[in-house]
Amino acid sequence: MGFSPHRNREAVLEALASTVHRDPTAYPYQFQDDSYLSPRTSAEFKLFSLSQESGRAAAKYFVNNNPKFFTKDFAEPHIPCLMPESVALRLEEVSEAALRERISLRKVSAAVEMYDQLLQSGTPVSMETTHEMLDLICVYCDRDPVQEGAPILEDGEGGDDTKRRKVRGRRGTDLKFSWKENNNAERIFQQLPERDSRCYSALIRGMVKHGVFSKAFNMYTELLNHRLTADVHVFNALISAAPDVREKFSERWDLITELLNQMSQQKVRPNLLTFNSVLKALRRCGFLAKSLAPQTLNEMKALGIAPSLATYDHVLAVFYKSASSGPNNTDILQDILTELEGTRFTCQDPDDVFFFSSAMRICLDSKDLELGYKVHQLVEVGENWRLLGDSYQQSIYYGRFFNLLCMMEHVDVVLRWYARIIPSLYYPNPQGMRDLLQALDTDSRLDLLPAIWKDIKTLGHDNKVDLVGELLSLMARDEHSAEVQESFAQCALDVKSAFDGRSSMEWTTPSLSHITTLMLRANKLQQAWEMLQLFKAQNRVPSEALMNSFLSACQSSGAPHRAVELVQLSAAFCLPATPGLAKRALAELELTEEQRSILSEFEAAAEEEQ
Amino acid sequence: MYRILSRAVCTARNHHLCVYECYVLPVKYDDVLRAFTGANTLSTCIIRQCEKKDVSDQNETTTKDVKPEVEAKANDGGETQQQGDGKVEQVLSKPSQVKSDGAKSGKEGLLDLLGAMKVEVTNKRKLKNLKTKQSFETSAQYKSKPAAMESTISMFQKATVQASAKSDALDPDIVAAASAAAATLPNQSQAESELLKQLRQRKALTEAQKKGDINNLGDLIADMKVGKKPARQNAWPADQIRFDDDGQGYTHDRGITGELANIRKRRNVFPTKRLNIFSPTTDQQGGESALAKPTLWDMDFANELSLSANQMPRNGFEEMIQWTKEGKLWQYPINNEIGLEDEASVPFHEHVFLEKHLEEGFPRQGPVRHFMELVVAGLSRNPYLTVQQKKEHISWFRDYFHQKKDVLSEADVDLS
Repeated sequence: MGFSPHRNREAVLEALASTVHRDPTAYPYQFQDDSYLSPRTSAEFKLFSLSQESGRAAAKYFVNNNPKFFTKDFAEPHIPCLMPESVALRLEEVSEAALRERISLRKVSAAVEMYDQLLQSGTPVSMETTHEMLDLICVYCDRDPVQEGAPILEDGEGGDDTKRRKVRGRRGTDLKFSWKENNNAERIFQQLPERDSRCYSALIRGMVKHGVFSKAFNMYTELLNHRLTADVHVFNALISAAPDVREKFSERWDLITELLNQMSQQKVRPNLLTFNSVLKALRRCGFLAKSLAPQTLNEMKALGIAPSLATYDHVLAVFYKSASSGPNNTDILQDILTELEGTRFTCQDPDDVFFFSSAMRICLDSKDLELGYKVHQLVEVGENWRLLGDSYQQSIYYGRFFNLLCMMEHVDVVLRWYARIIPSLYYPNPQGMRDLLQALDTDSRLDLLPAIWKDIKTLGHDNKVDLVGELLSLMARDEHSAEVQESFAQCALDVKSAFDGRSSMEWTTPSLSHITTLMLRANKLQQAWEMLQLFKAQNRVPSEALMNSFLSACQSSGAPHRAVELVQLSAAFCLPATPGLAKRALAELELTEEQRSILSEFEAAAEEEQ
Repeated sequence: MYRILSRAVCTARNHHLCVYECYVLPVKYDDVLRAFTGANTLSTCIIRQCEKKDVSDQNETTTKDVKPEVEAKANDGGETQQQGDGKVEQVLSKPSQVKSDGAKSGKEGLLDLLGAMKVEVTNKRKLKNLKTKQSFETSAQYKSKPAAMESTISMFQKATVQASAKSDALDPDIVAAASAAAATLPNQSQAESELLKQLRQRKALTEAQKKGDINNLGDLIADMKVGKKPARQNAWPADQIRFDDDGQGYTHDRGITGELANIRKRRNVFPTKRLNIFSPTTDQQGGESALAKPTLWDMDFANELSLSANQMPRNGFEEMIQWTKEGKLWQYPINNEIGLEDEASVPFHEHVFLEKHLEEGFPRQGPVRHFMELVVAGLSRNPYLTVQQKKEHISWFRDYFHQKKDVLSEADVDLS
């Protein structure tokens, strides 16, 4: 009824959503419901999104496995996704329908069993079901996929970023060895009375997916011998496998061109993934790639296939091999960015999400701030930010961007970006914070250090001794106005309490002396004295310069007894500077007779030794 | 806007041919017309001089005198423009226009043409006041084509004094029709001039065939460019290289986009070479596979894609979009008939007037009838049941009373 059929049902919401801008001071939206889930560090972010996701998965698992408790359907009209999904097998008899049910529920071993029973009872299985059967076995490599939310989380599919990453990594390595010789897929395939190209397609794609590349090529040869033609997916799979079956760069490329020529002969129209596979394979073709990658790109464009971000990522990878190769020519990236300016992307290839971080890496390597801004501009177009990938990829990207900013940009601008992206988009690592400290140092805005320290604490980096040490040394390096010194002293005390709370953190001599210096500069003699006591407790030895400046502080604040104690402490450390200190104290301070005698003793003792 | 093409053609012994062409504005401008006629008489006199093979200073001065006049009139018109890419074939077809005396009404011809012809619209830039330059270029071209020039001269020789402005122009009706037709096209002036050009060529051809002048005809056909390929310009709209009709050679499309493209091209570090394995034909295989049922591989790939991109909602509205897609949320704009699509085609009286379902299988009077009327009255007020359910409800009672027939007849209730 009623409304314009051309308007999709999300149009109103999309329009509303476009009016909401990101609030850099707010927690990510998914955590706003629960005040307990307020991540301040990347570890917390991971933990919270994991728990949220696993909570959902657990609920779903429970609902699906206990449908008898969830029969009430309040919703009018009916909402199917709120009702339990059927995950249990219902058809028990041996029939093709039962086989299809097992296939649709993705129960691999049950399906194989049913298939064998059907064959034994002499019931023919239709070609379509056989295709689906082979697809199922090949996709899951003859193993039952773990049900979503199931308690065994060994390599579950659903879930969070970290797990996803592991799964992706595993696909390349571990799974390579899990395609077994003569597994059910191969066995069923061999038993088939007639094999069409879809059967071959399933096998070849499965073999490539699970890393038995040479076998896939043998299968392809067999397909050709049977005068069948492959489909585009088979070619895509084979092209991506080509670098693994040939050693030499030129042989690899020859194989790829052979496959492409066969595609052309068989009138198979290539798609985006074909060319992305070619370019991905070219990344492993060494010196050949630089001339061939642009040609491939041009071929794509000639065929009217719009490149995706993955395409450009592969091209970039071909031209910018590694960070260590020195200053790079950024023309290619410049060119690509000019071409892409203002384009909105959707994810078309799983590799799309690597583009932005590798583009930013190139900007960072070549220290090209302009280009970095251009990349970021592209990220901010439309929904392109979604292609930054999962939170891990995103933190890599922002880490590089922030590093570039700290290196090249004026500190005011850096701080503006800092407020914008941290911590709402990016939780910087200790290295990132150190970059920021250096940027502050370069533009002499050290007065901001106490504020940065607060952020360091929030981000949970207050236990990183190196970072804290650097912060302290920056604060203690130069003398500042009284006001700044006061705030530094407060900050230093805060740092000290951070050290005190943890047994894992060990004081270093520089940190101790930096804090003491800061205390002295802010005329906090008592706290400085406590720091000197800490030296003793930590078995560290204060420097002569520190002792001297302490003595000067005693003099200026008129604390002769402290000076005497200082000389005594110095003697306890067996510092060679003790007599010098005693002499200075005798000369510069107003002392009682008793104090004088103590000090002269130290002075005399030293002279005797000489 | 009526544009009439007028040309004063002068030839000289040293094979100089100066072509002045101007588009003159509406016929209603009297002075323009005057200039027009003037130009033609001039051309006639020049032709005569050509016949005598006598180039005199006087000739040149006359030409000079007339030229500014025509120009002035052209500028008077305001919108009058000089078409930079003067067309060689126009020059060539011109003489035959001179001959052609409007022998045949071109109206039918125009209609035929409009039916058959695809008018190609191009964005040719108009250049103003490039007359002189133009004439020299054309003359240079004529040098290289002595044969064509010879024929022109011979045609001029044949041209009689009766060649007048009227004969030069096409029938005003045709011009009007052409301009009307051109007005429907995006680039009006361009289309119109092409229409008129085509008409003149057609007329010239007819004329030539009538006279049986084989040589002229051959020249005419040889020098005519008929039917440009429309596909060429559609295929490469971004950085097309166009061949200018004045024979100057290739010109780049200028303008801001063109400039940008040039900058980009200069900066483009990729060579334009490609692999040349596939031919850029559009075959239908991609469409076919899209129609097919998604396989497990497709689902697996889609899953992988959705896992790789960040799908987290950023605000409440995005979350609501997600819920809408999952079907958990009422769709916006709110429509309280959602989920009742089956009922949409059922008119309300089917819901309310249910008495007609009592016609069959129920008694006309008595307690059963009374009861059923109450049932129907209740049903007609019930908004929660579909018509089908209401009918089922009634037929359930029908069956029920029929089953209890014996009991009812015992109690003296008539069921017939």
